[in-house]
Amino acid sequence: MQVTTRPAEVWPATGSKAAGPSPMDANLAICVRGMAKHYRSPWTLRITRGLEELDLDVERGQVLGLLGPNGAGKTTTLKLLTGLLKPSCGNAWLLGVPIAEPRSRKPLGFLPEQPYFYDYLTGLEYLELAGGLSGLPGIEAHERARHWLGRVGLGDRPRLLLRKYSKGMLQRLGLAAALVHGPEILILDEPMSGLDPYGRRDVRELILEQHARGVTVLFSSHILPDVESVADRVAILHRGRLVRAVEPRDLAAGVARRVIIRCEGAPILEIPPGWRGRVARRPGGSDSEFEVSSGVEVNSVLDWLVRSGVKIRAVTPLGTGLEEIFLSATAGNAESNDGDAPRSEGEPPSVGEAQPLGHPTLPPGRGGPERGIPPARLERGRRVA
Amino acid sequence: MIAALVARNTFREATRDRVIAGVIGAGLVLLLGTQILSPLAMGEGKRLTVDLGLSGISLLGILVTLLVGTSLVAKEIERRTIYNLLSRPIARPHYLLGKWIGMIAALWVVTGGLGLALWALLLARGFAPNALSLLQAVYLAGLELALVAALAVMFSALSTPVLSALYTLGAFLIGQWSDDLRAYADQLPGALAPVLHATSNLVPNLPLFNMRTLAANGETTTLLHLGLASAYALVYCACVLSLAAAAFESRDFK
Repeated sequence: MQVTTRPAEVWPATGSKAAGPSPMDANLAICVRGMAKHYRSPWTLRITRGLEELDLDVERGQVLGLLGPNGAGKTTTLKLLTGLLKPSCGNAWLLGVPIAEPRSRKPLGFLPEQPYFYDYLTGLEYLELAGGLSGLPGIEAHERARHWLGRVGLGDRPRLLLRKYSKGMLQRLGLAAALVHGPEILILDEPMSGLDPYGRRDVRELILEQHARGVTVLFSSHILPDVESVADRVAILHRGRLVRAVEPRDLAAGVARRVIIRCEGAPILEIPPGWRGRVARRPGGSDSEFEVSSGVEVNSVLDWLVRSGVKIRAVTPLGTGLEEIFLSATAGNAESNDGDAPRSEGEPPSVGEAQPLGHPTLPPGRGGPERGIPPARLERGRRVA
Repeated sequence: MIAALVARNTFREATRDRVIAGVIGAGLVLLLGTQILSPLAMGEGKRLTVDLGLSGISLLGILVTLLVGTSLVAKEIERRTIYNLLSRPIARPHYLLGKWIGMIAALWVVTGGLGLALWALLLARGFAPNALSLLQAVYLAGLELALVAALAVMFSALSTPVLSALYTLGAFLIGQWSDDLRAYADQLPGALAPVLHATSNLVPNLPLFNMRTLAANGETTTLLHLGLASAYALVYCACVLSLAAAAFESRDFK
């Protein structure tokens, strides 16, 4: 995956000046060049920017996770690619076909964030319709519909009307509809949102299975562990702008990880001079907490605590590699993570905007959970927003 | 092919809706109700049955168009089921065309069914109906409904269900009086006359599809009239749907 951002003034519109691989490159499943989405209010004529000029390449067979807080532009990106929104400028290609052409969506399977269905149809009829609309001939559409209905565990009641389906059943049916025609590109908008642990596991397995089949998967999420568990690569969007592309090597490169060690009581201990600055006591309630930053062997600290007669209650890693990267890429706008709306024209750019990728968007020392996002919010299933 | 799939789904939607069943039921009650009035018609029972029956068919068809047709697209947008369709390789004009074809198929089922019931009622009462005359009247009523359905699809694609129902009803009512509008325009002085003439030509010329009086008298219309009415409906629907498609093409689905 190659990702670049550039200031708007040097990226006019059409994508013809795009750098990087050509949109016709046979190795590219998705190619986005300078694509942006702006909305103009018909009453106030005020422009709201949903997505800034985006350049993004996804190679065939890759699983790319689009990560970002609410309002970051994830759904806008996916809707632009699926033809539900029209780009204000720029262009994108699916397997070399411009998204303006309906045939670009032939190899595409799409699951919207909250799939809605025709409740007057049965599950079988719905999948037949989905297959037929994606170009399958009648008999094949019927056979594939039956197969996928069974594949997602709904095959025992093919004639049940969709109005009688539960939420989980509908989500599975939505996935089946996205896959019924054997797509080469799968676009999933928050596929695991609102699902119970079993449902999330099933979706995860399905994504991995499609990946193994060579299907290109582009999905959005703000649940970090879900992204980390299935994506080969991650693109982080924030306030309509691509702020960071995370390659596997970034995750494996030993990104700073911290650990919290919680001890029973409040023992009076002096931290050895060699660890000062890297092991710190954190204010706690009746217990003591030590924060161990990277560069210090956690085992050594635990040894020291045990030898000092302290009873350890918990050892908690503070954020995964992806979480660290995500927080550093989107820091400085933590308050906007609570329902971050698309920005309006004239609003000053955020701290992290228009900076080259690969660089932290904030100076060191301003990232992480203690920087404005309550740790409790991160610990609850690691949902950032 | 794709438009046919959308049409089939729209037909299913319309026919599985309780509104259609309710309207057919109401139509049958109305036809039977004409027989209560029949003795009061002083020997004109057949005429009254045909006239009221055909008027009922036409009005009930308009009712279905207003209740179902005006929310066809708007409801899909509101409920976001449109995502399921437009994220597939479907051109938006084909989608609208499919919606319209599905709707008129449902409307023709209602009109045809009630027309058949009217014919059966006339036979049962021993009124010896002119089958060709009835068939022509029902055909023209079907064309009228196709035209109003095209307007409903256009308004539905661009507006909310309530507003599109109001617009469609308005267009239907003005269309019914388009002849009167033309006659009134002839009497107007100065610059107002061409404006009103232009307006009366823009609204659908619905009196063209009305042969209820002829049918009530057991008379048939000419092939020329049928051909002109068919051509007019086809061209008008094509224009309306093209306008709808042009506006729908650039629409965003947030």
